[in-house]
Amino acid sequence: MAATDRRAARADKAGAIIAAALSLPGVMAPLKVFAESAPEHGEVAVKYLQYKDSQPGLERIKVKAPSVYVLAPLSPKWAVEGSLVSDSVSGATPRYHTAISGATPRMNDERVAGDVKVTRYEERSAYSVGLSKSKEHDYDSSAISFDAGFSSDDNNRTWNVGVGYASDKISSTNDITLHERKRTAELMVGVTQAWTANDLLQANLTFNSGRGYYSDPYKTPDVRPDKRTQAILLTRWNHHFPELASTLRTSYRYYRDTFGIRAHTLGADWVQPVGAMVTVTPSLRLYSQSAAKFYFDPVYDPDVGAPYPPGYFTNPPEFISADQRLSAFGAVTLGLKLAVKLTPDWSADLKGERYEQRSKWRVGGEGSPGLDPFSATFLQVGVNRRF
Amino acid sequence: MRSCGFEFQAMSSVCEIRLDGDDEAVLASAARRAIAEVRRIETTYSRYRADSIVSRINAAAGTGVPTEVDDETSALLDFAGQLHALSDGLFDITSGVLRRVWDFKCRRLPDPDRLGELLPLMGWQQVEREGYEVHLAQAGMELDFGGFGKEYAADRAMSVLADAGQRHGFVNLGGDIRVLGPRADGSAWRFGIQHPRCDADTIASVEMTEGALASSGDYERYFELDGQRYCHILDPRTGWPVRGWTSVSVTAPACVAAGALSTIAMLKGEHALDFLETQRASFFAVDLALQTFHHEQPDARRFDHGALP
Repeated sequence: MAATDRRAARADKAGAIIAAALSLPGVMAPLKVFAESAPEHGEVAVKYLQYKDSQPGLERIKVKAPSVYVLAPLSPKWAVEGSLVSDSVSGATPRYHTAISGATPRMNDERVAGDVKVTRYEERSAYSVGLSKSKEHDYDSSAISFDAGFSSDDNNRTWNVGVGYASDKISSTNDITLHERKRTAELMVGVTQAWTANDLLQANLTFNSGRGYYSDPYKTPDVRPDKRTQAILLTRWNHHFPELASTLRTSYRYYRDTFGIRAHTLGADWVQPVGAMVTVTPSLRLYSQSAAKFYFDPVYDPDVGAPYPPGYFTNPPEFISADQRLSAFGAVTLGLKLAVKLTPDWSADLKGERYEQRSKWRVGGEGSPGLDPFSATFLQVGVNRRF
Repeated sequence: MRSCGFEFQAMSSVCEIRLDGDDEAVLASAARRAIAEVRRIETTYSRYRADSIVSRINAAAGTGVPTEVDDETSALLDFAGQLHALSDGLFDITSGVLRRVWDFKCRRLPDPDRLGELLPLMGWQQVEREGYEVHLAQAGMELDFGGFGKEYAADRAMSVLADAGQRHGFVNLGGDIRVLGPRADGSAWRFGIQHPRCDADTIASVEMTEGALASSGDYERYFELDGQRYCHILDPRTGWPVRGWTSVSVTAPACVAAGALSTIAMLKGEHALDFLETQRASFFAVDLALQTFHHEQPDARRFDHGALP
């Protein structure tokens, strides 16, 4: 007792009494982002996203994507939400590694995607069914998912389970004879725990298993296994600082798949309200991955030349890819989000992110040699109306 | 959308829970749970019930036999210790023994000898704690959770309402207020601050969508004798009522914080305002000449002068 009090006395600092009060049990309502009750308000959000990526000497892909999101509570027990996005993609990507000379011809593509989810809320649980569909001229995807969440009696813990199934059809403008399919099934289990009034912990484990066509028809040479299993562990810790009214959101994600890729992501966001209307959220994400087993470095056959690795024709490998995304690299994303609550019902946000990828930034191993750096910029503006 | 008020009597005060929502039956069920929580705290920490944890600790004072306490009581005792340290000993939950000589109903000054005998029975440093065991060093000592019990109950009741899925409303336990959330339309609640010299009037008001408001004053329980006011807020160093402020109101994220800050400010006398500013509290204070002082933290709602419209 005495030691605690002396510590408290030394901590005769700004706001010490408020801080002491907030640590009493049950004084702050738990951070219940996951209460199993239907949303009280409907919401419409309209967003516009612009994405651009590049490497030295090549502007690669540009994406413009307006989207609309609608959430409508139907009754205290039911809610439906859905979104619609239309992407227009243009640009060119290297056919192998980061070779500019081998880039695909400039292309233009339109993608339309939509999803709808219906949720039923019970006293301590919620169940939802979701359908999604995405269509572009060379890729169709349909998916269905079921999710359930169960809260403990004190609402401090929530368990989530989800299953999903997706069926994709792949074709190519490169090869009109290409008509392939891919089917994947997914299982997710997760738990969220309000640890203290100011700390929220979450762990999610996802398994995804698919069969079908995984190769990229726009890359050469590119032959990938027709089976892939992925395992993803995502852990999150959100801590609220009541004296600053800010929240630190941290996350760690571990990814591994049967292609041989192992990836680690560390993320942190600082959510800082400024005055009553504005929230500023800077964010940082660090990423590192190992290469897929069948990725090959840009060392080409001395006779045939790029894009074929030495011995490609005499002793062809079963699987092969020169896709930069399957190489070993590290990446850093810096972001800033500005959200403004204009009235209790109207809000607007602006978000920008810069992504920089370098082979040598891989953590815990060598990055893939001989690749150019890769950068991307992401800008999104949105308006949100609650009703 | 309805706005429903649920009035009840608890902790010697008129209390109200106000909730906005669609379904009156759902609001009433949430309010019932919150009222049950207030009554649970009242019973658990009552000095008047022989079986309460406080009565058992007090009954064992000076016997050398420690009393085992639960998590909640232990956390409240930790908090009491922190308040004692952070108030330089002014906030002391052992000073309840002074009730034996101060009788606000009979309007009598205490016998100085009897008061002198009580002073050695006070002092948080005489509360012996080890783990979950508590013992009061001397026979006759008493713990009294009255200094923050009502405020704690307001906070806990708010949490129960939040747990029950409510988002819009507040808990008011005799002027100790904890806001659950804004009105259903997103607007703030407006609370009046009682005029310290005029029972029926308010001297200021404040709009709130979250957090808590608590007031301490020399008008709550007092008597006047020979033109001198003697109020119920007693300085543990002397055993005599404080003078200097007629009322101090504080807003803070939690009601236990607002209540402790306003009480300690009353005890701090001329250092009250410096203390509140160091503690990052937003406050509205009225001195003996009815001159008002207020200070708002950034982001906090402003105290508005004048009676409620």
